[in-house]
Amino acid sequence: MSKKASLRFSILRGFVAILISLFIASILIFISAEGGSFGEKLSSTGEALVYLIVRPILNGKGAFSVKSLTDILACMIPTIFTGLATCVMFSANQFNLGAEGGIMLGAFVSALVAIYVPMGTGIHMVVAVLAGAVSVAVMMLIPGILKAKLDVSEMVCSLMLNYVVMYAIKFMMNTYFADKTKGQVQSLPFEKTALVPQLINNGSKLTWGFILALIFVALTALFMYRTRWGYAIRMIGINRDFAKYSGMKVAAIIVASQVIGGVLAGLGGGVEMLGRNEFYSWSALPGYGWTGITIACIAGNNPILVPLAAFFIAYLDKGCNLMATYCGIPAQLIDIIQAVIFLFFAAEQFLSGYRQKLVVRSAQQELREKEGQK
Amino acid sequence: MSNVLSSILSAEFFFSIIRITSPILFATLGAVIVEKAGISNIGLEGIMMISALFGSLCAYWSSSWFVGLLAAMIVGVIVALIMSVFAFQLKTDIILVGIAINMIGSGGTIFLVKSITNMTEGEALSSTTSLITSELQIPTVQIPLIQNIPVIGPIISGHSLLTYLAFLLVFLTWVLLYKTSLGLNLRSVGENPNAASSVGVSVTRVRYTAMALSGLMAGLGGAFMSMSYAMGWSLNMVAGRGFIALAAQAMGSGEPFGAMLATIVFGFAQAFGIKLSSIGLDSNLSSPIPYIITIIGLVVFAIVKRKRDAKRVAAVGAKQRKEK
Repeated sequence: MSKKASLRFSILRGFVAILISLFIASILIFISAEGGSFGEKLSSTGEALVYLIVRPILNGKGAFSVKSLTDILACMIPTIFTGLATCVMFSANQFNLGAEGGIMLGAFVSALVAIYVPMGTGIHMVVAVLAGAVSVAVMMLIPGILKAKLDVSEMVCSLMLNYVVMYAIKFMMNTYFADKTKGQVQSLPFEKTALVPQLINNGSKLTWGFILALIFVALTALFMYRTRWGYAIRMIGINRDFAKYSGMKVAAIIVASQVIGGVLAGLGGGVEMLGRNEFYSWSALPGYGWTGITIACIAGNNPILVPLAAFFIAYLDKGCNLMATYCGIPAQLIDIIQAVIFLFFAAEQFLSGYRQKLVVRSAQQELREKEGQK
Repeated sequence: MSNVLSSILSAEFFFSIIRITSPILFATLGAVIVEKAGISNIGLEGIMMISALFGSLCAYWSSSWFVGLLAAMIVGVIVALIMSVFAFQLKTDIILVGIAINMIGSGGTIFLVKSITNMTEGEALSSTTSLITSELQIPTVQIPLIQNIPVIGPIISGHSLLTYLAFLLVFLTWVLLYKTSLGLNLRSVGENPNAASSVGVSVTRVRYTAMALSGLMAGLGGAFMSMSYAMGWSLNMVAGRGFIALAAQAMGSGEPFGAMLATIVFGFAQAFGIKLSSIGLDSNLSSPIPYIITIIGLVVFAIVKRKRDAKRVAAVGAKQRKEK
């Protein structure tokens, strides 16, 4: 099958997957919709679906609004980073699920630097975010090295680390860094010099972090497809034995892929924390890591497609929140929609029959063309 | 320090180890069975969450703990079968399927509980703790005679029915794996699916069966969580037990009894953590203990395994030299 036809097939396949998940979502919405009779329920389901699908980029009056769009773009910042992190790690077949704890650790360390290490404007922010990234890189060394040296499951190890990181941060917040004058557990305010500047000042919290995220999309794509290390990472994912026998340092590359994933997740945590907040107050894992996994799956582990996938998920997420506010449908519907989309995108044999038909048809066409030439 | 020691060496502490071990043990057995068939089911965590929810809800609706327990088991099997369809029919990476199920288990369950209770109770609840009364809990069993034995009695007697079932299932799992034809097929599929299929074993059917059994186990674990360990279902209540089970499976080198011992180690770690926080340690310091122990356990197991393998290779080498 030609490249073009194969691309067309992937788009169609994705489209069908999304339709199926929206269909399942509408069934769930219907079940939980308000209304006594069947007709009433149906109409309130329709109303809810409008909120889910159309309203996210509109304002209250139903016209297109820049503010709504920038809201969605702002939500993409952390998930682009975790999506990229997952892309790199999963490309090497390293099912490291530590981006969740990683983004929390990155946010926490960046926050500490932003509060306690005074520096000049500009440089302060850079140092704070980098400190967060480095700390997560160190955290990811643990599952990375254990996997490379001892063949310990990086998945179980990173999952356990997520819990350890969360409790450690909660402990440190409660005992050392809490602002005792406040009712809830929160840190002292960040120094103004450390804040990530806003891109548009309309309250959306769309910061320069968004531009930075896009830059990292390009950098990650270049790294994965244009460098020796990126090639090695992908090759290990495709065939580890082949990589080994062709002389690649498999252990080092396994560690590297997870550390790079850690750096990306850490950057996301720092940029999100210093862009959206004025003090640190996360007391639970934020969930961006799991969203990142869905995004990487939709993007087929291709960094270039990550922003698109992140936009899609952020759009649906906002839609679910609107539904929760206006139609009383629990906002956690997003988790089920995400999981269903994720499943169908990951299903290799999904629509394989149709794909087979396409392959056969294009082969027949080629044969006919050849005979025509004769 | 002596204070800590004396409270640890109490019968009540050992009782709590057994209690805490049981839900993990169910999931561990589930992991043991599927791993024998060559499948990694990382969705155990999610299955436990989902079946814990439906177990407690069905117990409430039917006013019977038994119906709840049954529902939890059935839901566990259904979820595992849905996973199997994606994994074996649609050729999805089983790890990705597991991740998806865990997503539903963490966030999706809260959607389900809110919309279901909204329909049946008239208001959206975010947990089922207010619905479950002590009559709907899985009953505890006082074993006659044994309960009167000093020291041992209060440790072994008085547990939930499911706790005894969990330890009984360790033995039954061993019987299933090593004394039945299904177990033989299961192991052969795990060892070499092509060889198994060449002698007429239906690989797909065996894999489905293994997944269904692991779903059943996780369902029991979920039922234990919401109907015995705690009163009702609440968000994130399984808290990584499904993942700890995977680690226990690995540390027990995939055998039912070995995995049981590993699970007891985790049960001890958690009971120890709870004890420490009850005598004044910050709970944020004691809660991560089981997770840290899991990582350490995996590392120790990996080192031991490596040494054992090295020894075996060396022994084989020496034997070959001798024969020459």
